[in-house]
Amino acid sequence: MIELNELTDAAQKAFPAGSLSPARDESWRLAAEMGWLMVRLPEADGGLGFTREASTALHLEMGRILSAMPLIPAQLGLQAMAASHDFAERAEWLERLAAGEYAPLPMLGAALTPSPDGTVSGTISGVFEADMAAAIIAQLPNGYALVPLDAPGVSIVERAIWDPSRRLFDVILDGYTPTLMLTDAAGAKALHDQLSGEAQLALAADCIGAAGAALDMTIEYMKVRRQFDRPIALFQALKHRAADMKTKITVAEALLWKRVRDESASLTDLAATKVLAAEAFRFVTEEMVQLHGGIGLTDEHPCHLFLKRALLNLQLCGNADLWNERVGREALSATG
Amino acid sequence: MTHDLEALRRDVRSFLKAQAPADWRASSRTQDDFVRTQRDWFGKLVHAGYAIPHWPAEYPGGGRSLAEQKVIYEELARADCPRLLLSFVSTYHAFATLHECGNAAQKARYLPRILEGETWCQGFSEPGAGSDLAAIKTRAERKGDVYVINGQKVWSTMAQFADKCLLLARTASDGPKQAGITYLLMDMKAPGVAVRPIHQIQGDEEFAEIFLDNVEIPVCERVGEEGMGWAVAQATLASERGLTLMELSYRMRGALGRVAGLIRKHGHEDDRGVLRDFGVLVTQVDAVCALADQFLDNRINGIERIGDASIVKNAYSRALRAYSALGLRLGGMDEQYVAPITFGDLNTGNWMADFMNSYAWTIAGGSEEVQRNIIAERMLEMPREPKGWVL
Ligand SMILES: Cc1cc2nc3c(=O)[nH]c(=O)nc-3n(C[C@H](O)[C@H](O)[C@H](O)COP(=O)(O)OP(=O)(O)OC[C@H]3O[C@@H](n4cnc5c(N)ncnc54)[C@H](O)[C@@H]3O)c2cc1C
Repeated sequence: MIELNELTDAAQKAFPAGSLSPARDESWRLAAEMGWLMVRLPEADGGLGFTREASTALHLEMGRILSAMPLIPAQLGLQAMAASHDFAERAEWLERLAAGEYAPLPMLGAALTPSPDGTVSGTISGVFEADMAAAIIAQLPNGYALVPLDAPGVSIVERAIWDPSRRLFDVILDGYTPTLMLTDAAGAKALHDQLSGEAQLALAADCIGAAGAALDMTIEYMKVRRQFDRPIALFQALKHRAADMKTKITVAEALLWKRVRDESASLTDLAATKVLAAEAFRFVTEEMVQLHGGIGLTDEHPCHLFLKRALLNLQLCGNADLWNERVGREALSATG
Repeated sequence: MTHDLEALRRDVRSFLKAQAPADWRASSRTQDDFVRTQRDWFGKLVHAGYAIPHWPAEYPGGGRSLAEQKVIYEELARADCPRLLLSFVSTYHAFATLHECGNAAQKARYLPRILEGETWCQGFSEPGAGSDLAAIKTRAERKGDVYVINGQKVWSTMAQFADKCLLLARTASDGPKQAGITYLLMDMKAPGVAVRPIHQIQGDEEFAEIFLDNVEIPVCERVGEEGMGWAVAQATLASERGLTLMELSYRMRGALGRVAGLIRKHGHEDDRGVLRDFGVLVTQVDAVCALADQFLDNRINGIERIGDASIVKNAYSRALRAYSALGLRLGGMDEQYVAPITFGDLNTGNWMADFMNSYAWTIAGGSEEVQRNIIAERMLEMPREPKGWVL
C-alpha cells in the first residue's frame, strides 16, 4: 500500500495536473528512468514485482494528464515477453524492454493470411506510437511472435486518428517469415486472455483518471464563467449534472478497484469494468463540451482532447456492444 | 480479526439455514400476514443476537463492530430472508435518537421495549414540509407538565402499526426556521391521534397520515431542550449510513436471476439486444455493490466524506429503477395484469409493483435532487443556493 502511494505521488510530481499530453519522448524517458516499465515485471526477471494495483494506479495518473506516451501497450508487451518461457532471447529482450526499448502489443484486431510457405501477410491494426518501436508483439496464425519492425516484409503506416493525444499505426506484413515465436498456436489463447484482461483494467484506469480530470476542469470553469450576473455553477440545473458526473465516475471507480483486487475476476468481468469506465468517461466528456458552451467546440480549449480520447478508448480491446452482450450471455447461463 | 469474522459468518449462515422463513413472499400477501411474519422474524433475530448488532454491548446481540455488522447484513441478503422493515425505525432511528440525545430514564424505558417488539414510526414530514423539513407547522404548546400538539404529519412509514412516534413539532416560530423545533416521543394510542393509511400506487399501504388534535405529551417525553429539536433530528436522520444500501444492493444482485428467468420464459436467449441490455444491468448492479462495499470499508477505516452517502443512495436508486424497468419491459403484456403483491419488499418479481416501488428510493430519505445538491455543493464545492433554501 505504501508503495502504491509513493508511486502515485511520484507520478503526480513528474506529471503535474493541468499540463496535458506532455511531450511523448521526454515523458517516455522519464517513465523509464522512474522504473515504470519494470513495475509489473517479476523480481526474478529484474523487475519490481508489483501487483495489478500498482499498474492501475499509474495508468489512472496517466489518464489524468492524457498522457501521450504508450505505457499501456508497452506494459502489455513486456508481460507477454515475461510469460514466454520458451523464447530463446527472452532474457535479453526483457532487459532491453525494461530499460526503455519499446515493443507494444496491438489493441485492435488483425487481418492476416498465412501462406503454405510459412510466411504471413496482412495488416495488424491498433499499434500505438509504432514510430518509436523496435518491434511489436502480435498474435499471428501460429502463435504470438516478436516482430522486429526492421525485418524484411514488415512496414508501418500511420493512420491519422481524431484523438490528438496519441498516434496510431498499422503494421503491414508482406510475405513476412515469423522466426521469434513467444508461444505456439495452442498457447496463444491463454496468453491472449491474460493480456486482454490486463488491457481492460489498464484502459479502465485511463478512463477513470481522465474522467476525473475532465470533471475537475469543468467545475473550475463553471465557477468562473458568469452569465446573468452569477457564476453558472450556481444554476441548479447545471449543478445536478455535475453531481451525476461525479456519481458515474465514483461508481465505475469502485468497480475498477474491486476487480483489480479480485484475482478470480474473469476476462468478461474485467471487460465489463472497462466498458463501465469508458461509458462514464464518454458521459463526462460530452457534458464537459456542452457545459463549456462555444469554447468547448474550439480546438484551442482542451475539452475536445478528453472527448476524443474517450471515444477512442471505447473502441479499444472490444467495444461496449460486444462486451455487454457477453456479460449478459454469461450472466444468463450462470443462472441456468 | 478476519478469523473472527469468518467464524461469525459461519454462525450467521448456519442460523439462517435453520431458521430463515422460506415462504415469506407467498405469506406476505396481506398486511396482517406481513406484520405477523415481520414480528416473528424480528423476535427470532433478537433471540439469536443478530437484530441489533449496532447497539452497545449491554444489550443482547449488541456491541458488534461495523465489520461484523457488515458480515451479518451480507448473510441476511444472501439468504434472501425478509428485511426488518417493521422494526427499522425502532432499531435505527429511535435507537440513535435515544442513545445519543435521550436522558437516562428515556433510554431505560424504551430501548428494552424495542427488543420486545415495540414499534416506532417517524413523524417528521408534513404536507408543506418534505424536502424543506424545517418548514414544519405542527404546533406544540406547553401547558404545565404537558405539550399540547395540533397539526398533521404525512408519509409516516408503517405508522398504522406503530406504538410510538418520533415527533417534530414547532414550539416557536420567530427566528430562523430550524430554531423553535422541539423533539418529542409520542404515544400513538394517546387521545387525539388519528392515523389514516395511504394507499400507494402499487397497491401497498406502507405509509400513513397522522392527524394530531390536542394530543397531550408529557414534558418528560421531550428529547433535548425545547427548541433544539433540529439538532436531535440530525442524529435520527444520520442513524443508518450504508448498511441498508449494501444489503439491498446484494439482494438486487441475487435477484438478477429473476430477469434471467424472464429472458428464458420469453425465448430471448439469443436476442443480442436483450442480452446487451441485461449485460449493462448486470454491470451496473455489480458496480453498485462494489460502491456500497467501498463506502462501508471506508467507514470501517474511519473515512467518510460529506457526499459519499448521497452518491451511494443515488447510484442504488437508479440501479433499482433500471432493474425493475428491464423486468417490466421483458415481462411484456403479462405485467399489465394485476397480480398479487408481496408487502414490504423492493424486488418481488412482480415487475409493475417493483418498478413503482423503486420511486420510494428516489424520493424518500432526501430525494435524488436533494442528494444532487449535497454532492454538488458540499462535495464538489460549487456555490450554494441563497441561504435558507437548502436542507
Ligand atoms: C416510501 C416513503 C416513505 C417515507 N417515510 C417517511 C417516514 O417514515 N417519516 C417521515 O417523516 N417522512 C417519510 N417520507 C417522506 C419523505 O421524507 C419525503 O417524501 C421526501 O423528503 C420528499 O418530500 P416531499 O414528498 O414533500 O416532496 P417535495 O419536497 O415537495 O419535492 C417534490 C419535488 O421537488 C424536488 N425538490 C424539492 N426541493 C428541491 C430543491 N431544493 N432542489 C431541487 N429539487 C427539489 C424534489 O426532489 C421532488 O422531485 C417517506 C416518503 C416515501 C416516498
